[in-house]
Amino acid sequence: MPNEMKPGQDGKKSVEALRSKFGAAILAEAWQTPDQVTLTVELSSLPEIVEEAYYRQGGWLSSVVGNDERGLNGHFAVYYVLSIEKERVPDKNFWLTVKALVPSHKPEFPSVTPRVPAAVWYEREVRDMFGLEPVGLPDARRLVLPDDWPDNLYPLRKDAMDYRFRPDPVAEEENYKFIEVEGEGIVEVPLGPLHITSDEPGHFRLYVDGEYIVDADYRLFYVHRGIEKLAENRLDYDQVTFLAERICGICGYTHSVAYASAVETANGIEVPPRAQYIRTILLEVERMHSHLLNLGLAAHLVGFDAGFMHFFRVREKAMQMAEILTGGRKTYGMNLIGGVRRDILKEERDQVLRLIAEIRVELDELLDLLLNTTNFISRTQGVGRLDPGVARDFSPVGPNMRGSGYARDTRADHPYGAYDRVPWDVISRDGCDVLSRELVRAAELYESLKIIERCLAEMPPGPVLVEGFAYKPYSFALGYTEAPRGENVHWVMTGNNQQVYRWRARASTYNNWPSLRYMFRGNTVSDAPLIVASIDPCYSCTERVTVVDVRKKKARTIEYKELERYCQERKNSPLKS
Amino acid sequence: MDQEVKLAELKAKLKKVIKRSVYIYRVDCGGCNGCEIEIFAAISPVYDPERLGMKVVASPRHADVLLYTGPMTRAMRLPAIRAYQAAPDPKIVVAYGACGCSGGIFHDCYSVWGGADSIFPVDVYIPGCPPTPAATLYGLAMALDLLQQKIKGEQFAETEVTRVVPQYDGVCPELAKEIEQEARRLSGYLHGRRIAAQYLQFVREGDPLAVDRKIKELIKQEKDPRLAEVFLSLHKIYMEKMERVGHNAG
Repeated sequence: MPNEMKPGQDGKKSVEALRSKFGAAILAEAWQTPDQVTLTVELSSLPEIVEEAYYRQGGWLSSVVGNDERGLNGHFAVYYVLSIEKERVPDKNFWLTVKALVPSHKPEFPSVTPRVPAAVWYEREVRDMFGLEPVGLPDARRLVLPDDWPDNLYPLRKDAMDYRFRPDPVAEEENYKFIEVEGEGIVEVPLGPLHITSDEPGHFRLYVDGEYIVDADYRLFYVHRGIEKLAENRLDYDQVTFLAERICGICGYTHSVAYASAVETANGIEVPPRAQYIRTILLEVERMHSHLLNLGLAAHLVGFDAGFMHFFRVREKAMQMAEILTGGRKTYGMNLIGGVRRDILKEERDQVLRLIAEIRVELDELLDLLLNTTNFISRTQGVGRLDPGVARDFSPVGPNMRGSGYARDTRADHPYGAYDRVPWDVISRDGCDVLSRELVRAAELYESLKIIERCLAEMPPGPVLVEGFAYKPYSFALGYTEAPRGENVHWVMTGNNQQVYRWRARASTYNNWPSLRYMFRGNTVSDAPLIVASIDPCYSCTERVTVVDVRKKKARTIEYKELERYCQERKNSPLKS
Repeated sequence: MDQEVKLAELKAKLKKVIKRSVYIYRVDCGGCNGCEIEIFAAISPVYDPERLGMKVVASPRHADVLLYTGPMTRAMRLPAIRAYQAAPDPKIVVAYGACGCSGGIFHDCYSVWGGADSIFPVDVYIPGCPPTPAATLYGLAMALDLLQQKIKGEQFAETEVTRVVPQYDGVCPELAKEIEQEARRLSGYLHGRRIAAQYLQFVREGDPLAVDRKIKELIKQEKDPRLAEVFLSLHKIYMEKMERVGHNAG
């Protein structure tokens, strides 16, 4: 069973505070590492305890894991993972996991969403995948599973089905129920599923009054592939590092690192410092290409296409860097449990340092150009406000959060890799708008360059890989990284057959979507693509936008391209015809 | 069958008749975005496919070429079919990336149908995870008959009995294994293998004193401090082993 650890001082204090308030409701306490604790609690007091930890202990909801533990203890289980950052001092932060067992004969648990809104997507997902009913959850729609998936078939239950089982489609048409917004003169604008800013599918529906957005709703998960089930059934521990990289084609390596560090932590495997440095360097190379991509996209959406092309030109240098260091431009394939597969020698280091010098010069020119384009500033300032209050309720992450005045960055809050060994700064802005988020990204590019340089210069000697360890069955832990879009959290429980028993990968954008609805409100339709792009969505994008006019009560579908054109030119509104 | 022949003819005609640029429409059927981003990179000015007459468009209704990426998830099946139907005939369908070609690593997942060819006929496959911009341009040029496909047939038949020779001739296999393992631990698979091979070249000499002298010389002249460090640790293993052997013999 889980490896017992001595608790950290400050974590202990927080747990004591919870104990004094809830006493008997806390059934067990287990420390996986000095900064990761799991409390098993009475199912009925789950919402109160999560609420207390979230709002009064300075917690942020980082993940919720459903698990089918009927083979271990006869119950289902739900784990609410919170990052406790009460005092905002890195060595006082810790991870609190609140666990509750759900009886298998009565698969229900009290919903936390009415108290902590951030849990809404997680609970919908647990219902889809495990058939556990969150009692009191207002949203009864599916989240992850496609519309043509049969009812009462829950893919992640251990006994539900083979991972290869493909049930026949039960519906020939999409039948997802979008929310209904009542009110005089509201119009619906559908957006997607083939779409707005990215090329991934996702279906948006905007509710507009004239040109202004009143509300929004979206249907995502067009790219649900069944990765978690696949990992539990077909792959071994080392192979999952490569699968994790294919969760996302833009920030895949962060997933791979998060997964690997979860397994390493759960099994007490010490990763050599040189491997930590190499992972850190690659994470920053990935952040650079991703931020350059997003800045380019923002330039494109405000109609500054020359800027877009230039950002892509500079971005190619980041891709070259990856190619020099890993052999691959996008999928690095560098991780194994216990270290990395490739060392960085002097020749590679020199080439990368040369590229960094080039990027720095070009970036200076390019950002100067972008930020002195009046159009760019006027289109992004004050647009798509993420109110700090909304942010507190929904736990968004990454530049999205740091653009709203919260200096939350996993690299600083819960240091991993080499981030606590090299100097760098957490960037935040408090404009809460699209501009702030882009400025955060621009400034972070320089931090990334700095980190890569320092890491290359100070790489410690020694091995890059440890071999010959044994896995401990049924131990679990968290792995976390700061992806370009925000914090990624992976929760892994090992199995007894050289495979993971349960692997929950929570991508950063998952935490950013629920608050997007609030960011749309009050903005014009022409700003919608820009707002979506500013959270840098990563939902492997979409083709149409449904616009609903609240006044005419008519729904029209506008092609994404038409909307994008309108976003760039701001002339000839597609709503008028 | 008739229809297939007709379609092939039409496609041949399309390539011949087409005088303007070819319009390409991308459909993401559940890919991880890796392919999309490499297509994006491929259409950027660095590679500039427009000089070859390839242009990415935003609507399937304008498209001559449909580029399908991703392992065809359940939820994307209907949108993918709609895009296929919206494109005017004749059209060329390209399956892009490992997932688009076969479903890739996800080929047997429950929420995936497995590759673009599980739903409609595919003309050209561009493999890779993700394909590089160069591979993308090559594949598209092939789809348009600008380039011929490189297909080589090769058959391997054993003509005479060959004896397997040890990889490092003249080196004790035990030692070679230890050296390789240490090199991998220190410098990973790619560099480790190369470094171990280089080191074992010296060991082949046989005389420990000569080996020791040559390696020390090598380390002294090495400009890369990391390489020197790795060589030194490999050499330590060798020296310890030789000492043991010498001790036993003595």
